[in-house]
Amino acid sequence: MSALSLPKRCSALARPRALLLAALAAAAAIVPLFLDPQGYWVRVLTLTLIFAALGQAWNIVGGLANQISLGHAAYFGVGAYASTILLINFGLSPWIGLFVGMALAVVVALVLSVPTFRLKGHYFALATLAAGEALRVIANSWQGVTGGPVGLSVPFMPDSFWMMSYGAPRPFYWIALAALVLVTLVFWWIKSSALGYRLRAVKENEQAAEVVGVNTFRAKLWASLVSAAATAAIGVVYVQFTYFFDPDAVFGVATVSVRLALVAIVGGIGTVIGPVVGALVVVPLEELVNAALQGQVAGLSAFVYGAILIAVILVEPRGLVALFGRLRRGLGRRPGGAGEAGR
Amino acid sequence: MSLLEVTDASVRFGGLTAVDGLGFSVEAGEIVGLIGPNGAGKTTTFNMLVGLARAAEGTIRLDGRPLAGLRPHSIAALGMTKTFQNVSLFMESSVLDNVVTGALLREPLAEAKASARRVLERVGLAGVAERPAADLSFPERARVEIARGLATRPKILLLDEVMAALTPAEMEGIVALVRQLRDEGITFVLIEHHMRAVMTLSDRILVLSFGRKIAEGRPEEVARDPKVIEAYLGREWAAEGAGPGQARP
Amino acid sequence: MQLLQALVDGLLIGGVYGVVSIGLSLVFGVMNIVNFAHAAFLMLGMFVAWFAWAFLGLDPLLGAFLSFVLVFAFGCAVQQVLVRPILAAPQVAQIFLTVGLLIVLENAALMAFGADFRSVQTPYQTSAFRLGGIIVSKPYLYAFAMALLSGAAVWAFLERTAVGRAMRATAQDPMAATLMGIDTQRMHRLAFGVGVGLTAFGGAVILPYLTVSPTVGSHYVVLMFTAVVLGGLGSVAGAVVGGIAVGVIQSVSALVFPIQLQNLVLFVVFILVLALRPDGIVRRRGA
Repeated sequence: MSALSLPKRCSALARPRALLLAALAAAAAIVPLFLDPQGYWVRVLTLTLIFAALGQAWNIVGGLANQISLGHAAYFGVGAYASTILLINFGLSPWIGLFVGMALAVVVALVLSVPTFRLKGHYFALATLAAGEALRVIANSWQGVTGGPVGLSVPFMPDSFWMMSYGAPRPFYWIALAALVLVTLVFWWIKSSALGYRLRAVKENEQAAEVVGVNTFRAKLWASLVSAAATAAIGVVYVQFTYFFDPDAVFGVATVSVRLALVAIVGGIGTVIGPVVGALVVVPLEELVNAALQGQVAGLSAFVYGAILIAVILVEPRGLVALFGRLRRGLGRRPGGAGEAGR
Repeated sequence: MSLLEVTDASVRFGGLTAVDGLGFSVEAGEIVGLIGPNGAGKTTTFNMLVGLARAAEGTIRLDGRPLAGLRPHSIAALGMTKTFQNVSLFMESSVLDNVVTGALLREPLAEAKASARRVLERVGLAGVAERPAADLSFPERARVEIARGLATRPKILLLDEVMAALTPAEMEGIVALVRQLRDEGITFVLIEHHMRAVMTLSDRILVLSFGRKIAEGRPEEVARDPKVIEAYLGREWAAEGAGPGQARP
Repeated sequence: MQLLQALVDGLLIGGVYGVVSIGLSLVFGVMNIVNFAHAAFLMLGMFVAWFAWAFLGLDPLLGAFLSFVLVFAFGCAVQQVLVRPILAAPQVAQIFLTVGLLIVLENAALMAFGADFRSVQTPYQTSAFRLGGIIVSKPYLYAFAMALLSGAAVWAFLERTAVGRAMRATAQDPMAATLMGIDTQRMHRLAFGVGVGLTAFGGAVILPYLTVSPTVGSHYVVLMFTAVVLGGLGSVAGAVVGGIAVGVIQSVSALVFPIQLQNLVLFVVFILVLALRPDGIVRRRGA
């Protein structure tokens, strides 16, 4: 459809940024060569990439359309369960399971769109929160298929790309990086396409958007479907990487829904680089806190990320990217000017 | 057949009837003024026409096609859109992007950008195309509203107080623009508080009071109508014995 | 008979839901903020009552007053330091500030008190009245009575006192309230304090039949929101009616569905209510 037609040419401004991002991705790709392939840091960085990709997927609806979803765990968990169940019961490759998961997530997003798209702001957040929780309840109680509260383990297999199975974390690093690059490209493409214009219109004034001919429901639906599919696909990568999960791990509000939105918000909601920056700050910090205390103080890492969230919102609700910009401008000019950047 | 036909239309909010059994029609190529005291239901009438407010009763036809149940974007696609009285631009987007959003209704992005630039040229805003809408002055914002509406290539464009807060010179500019656009085939309905502007520009005037049409006719007829002078202009004007045609700026 | 029993249980439990939801509605009504952290204050109230019972030997029904006072003071501070700065911020900031607060409070409790489930012993804990074939559990009944009492107190406060009227004025039209000489910031602080304090009170009175742990609030989040949305966000009386409705839906659906699916029914009701109630859409005044 026309909403998804490729922008014919990049604007003059976008080209150097594209090069910069390509260079960043290339640099990121060689990082694990210098790290112990079994080691702690590869694991942490892989998780960082996974959450950056998730944040970017959330950014498509949360950032571009300002639809603040607190229920993205629904899609994440659907992907995780779909591929793992197919793998356990039919030996199906997770790569195929990934597409099944994406398809199911799209169905879930379609079903949810009907009751939730008329809602705005807080109400949308509440409805999506309840939707994610509903799926967690289902996963907990549908024991025959999901294993219930006990959770599922990904069967052990020899290293194989086709089965997305590796003993060491390093290959997952590259898979996660590829996922991040892909989702970022999709985000960028949507942002600069006709759909991006329509979503910005929805974000800034939904009524006015409708009146000048934007089918706001359809714009939100496209964004939501793409975001859901991407989130489900990353969910598959995540569980292949972690081997084991239960309903709380993949359908949880704090563990998934809030965390992936947090990544986008801490970095900079609606920006291309925001989720990457956010994940680079949030995930390693959480891991460091856990490692420093060897997990002795339960709740500390979550406490820390809650505190980061509050701090970022109080200091600069538009995230670290905006904060850096403010600081840089502030250093160059009068310090008092920074306040005007806030809303 | 008229371009726009409204028959017995009513809009209610809870117990309040904002538009009450309203009927009128607009011919292609006309400029129709919609006037009335504050709270007469003018903006609600516009909202009803473009699909933002639901008509509880009555029918609205555009080119003979009933609009009942259509969402605003479908009505825009059929050729009717409006500007917003309180200016509802996409404030963080550039002026150009605001207008591109409207142009996307008819064409793909690359063409929409080109058309948007042409429209901005047309309304005299080419110089500020790249600025965020929030940076503009109020008169400029009103022009962006018009440009965004024009970019949807409407058959009929509803202008809600685009001349509020304009200087006389700026107003002349808008009046000339609307006339030109009419000559190119666009039909206008405009809500305007500024009497001289609306009287000189309109071919026909509709007067609303408490959601009902109380008068309709050529500007000079309406200006002499005692009902209008009483209901709309109230004591102040009745006492001075002046019709709206001689209104002060 | 089974149905009647379920209705009675639902009514008694739902009354408490109603009272713990009042604060959520009050805060929304007065400052237009949906407090996602609301359930964490319920948890705090339960802990206060538990400690009051463990160290002072206070029955939770009395400890509830201590819960109210302490959490009220804490809530005023939270409003002043965290909520006030984001009242004019975009909704995404408002949503995630309170979500962040929820995470911080839950995990602070986890660090301070551990993950154990704690319960109290009271003489009436396992006793009940029998009315014909219907069993009326004493702890349910006492909690219900206390909840209604506190709900009535809040109602009286809002309707009958000058401060309460000022608070309602602030909710209706902050601008006009300011012009009338009402200190709206103080009203916000008070509303937040009373709102979360009341929830803490409700948490304390249900302690005799429940256990407290840092994550106990998560069971109540959707419950409270459902109650409030059913009754109409911003309405105090609505929250009580909504709470009772939620309690009844919960206990009646337990007759039909397995216990694990009890909440699922609620989630579905919640989403449907949000979608179908026109109040669920941001209200715009027609010009």
